[in-house]
Amino acid sequence: MTANTLEPLDPLIHVPARLRILVTLAALNEGDTLSFTRLQNMLDLTPGNLITHLRKLEDARYIGTSKTGNGVAALTSVALTRHGRAALDAYTEALRDLLGELAK
Amino acid sequence: MNAAGDTNQTGTAGEGAGLDPREAARILEQTKRQARRQFDPQSVLAAVAGAGVFLFGYGAVWWSMRDQNVYSGPAGWSLAVLYGLIAVSAIVGGVALSRANAGVSGRARRQRQAQAAAIAAAGIGAWVVEGALRYRGVSFEIVYGVYGPTVPLIALAAAAAGIAAMRESWLQLGVCIAIIAVASVSTFFGPLGAWGLTGLGCCLVLLVYASALVARRRRA
Repeated sequence: MTANTLEPLDPLIHVPARLRILVTLAALNEGDTLSFTRLQNMLDLTPGNLITHLRKLEDARYIGTSKTGNGVAALTSVALTRHGRAALDAYTEALRDLLGELAK
Repeated sequence: MNAAGDTNQTGTAGEGAGLDPREAARILEQTKRQARRQFDPQSVLAAVAGAGVFLFGYGAVWWSMRDQNVYSGPAGWSLAVLYGLIAVSAIVGGVALSRANAGVSGRARRQRQAQAAAIAAAGIGAWVVEGALRYRGVSFEIVYGVYGPTVPLIALAAAAAGIAAMRESWLQLGVCIAIIAVASVSTFFGPLGAWGLTGLGCCLVLLVYASALVARRRRA
């Protein structure tokens, strides 16, 4: 697979861990948030790995994070933004087109 | 972030370049299925537990009254079986719901609270009317024999049907409508019919629902 072939796919999403994060968050209704711990358990990622991917997605405004409480009792919640949902939809569409072309 | 730990598994720029689109599509579909299943509050076990309440709980009450020529009410042991099973079923349903909703907050939590309030209001309203009917001198046979096993159930199912319709959960909506139909029709057959037919009919409805949930999960 050449880099040119994959061009229409958003490189930020086209990574297994980040794709799984976005798809999991997209399964929630709009306006819902998911705790960091539940997301980590669902995806079976290490905390450090998950944090790194979440930061990249947050920098691109694909997700939003919010923190409640302080210290050890702090709880981080993650939610997909409208921009993130649109990006995932565009990625899914591009992937479908690409697979259609490959099948020809 | 509230967690810290290893960051050596961090991805780098261009890390997805080697990811085959077919593999990406597989990951996408698999993750979507897993997430939907894990967030789904509909539990096969809770449905089977509910079926058990109708078959054994309502069945016990029916059994204790089956030889009564003149209505004298169900035996104490049968009511103990019924309420015991309702408690077990409520615990099973509650655990399934809390597992599905663990860590989910925001609009969903507010909606859940509003839905619980709607269902509680429907149930409490129906039971208050039951008390009012007795207060106004309606017979035990009608109040506890016919109204008791059916009308609160109809009220609860109607509230749940509204919630299912709002969530576009058609399977749940069908179950609620079927329960309302069974409970309504059974009132024509007196106390024995109300307990017996409602018990048997609702048990079948919930077993079909549980089977449909299993089939849907296998298909997904």
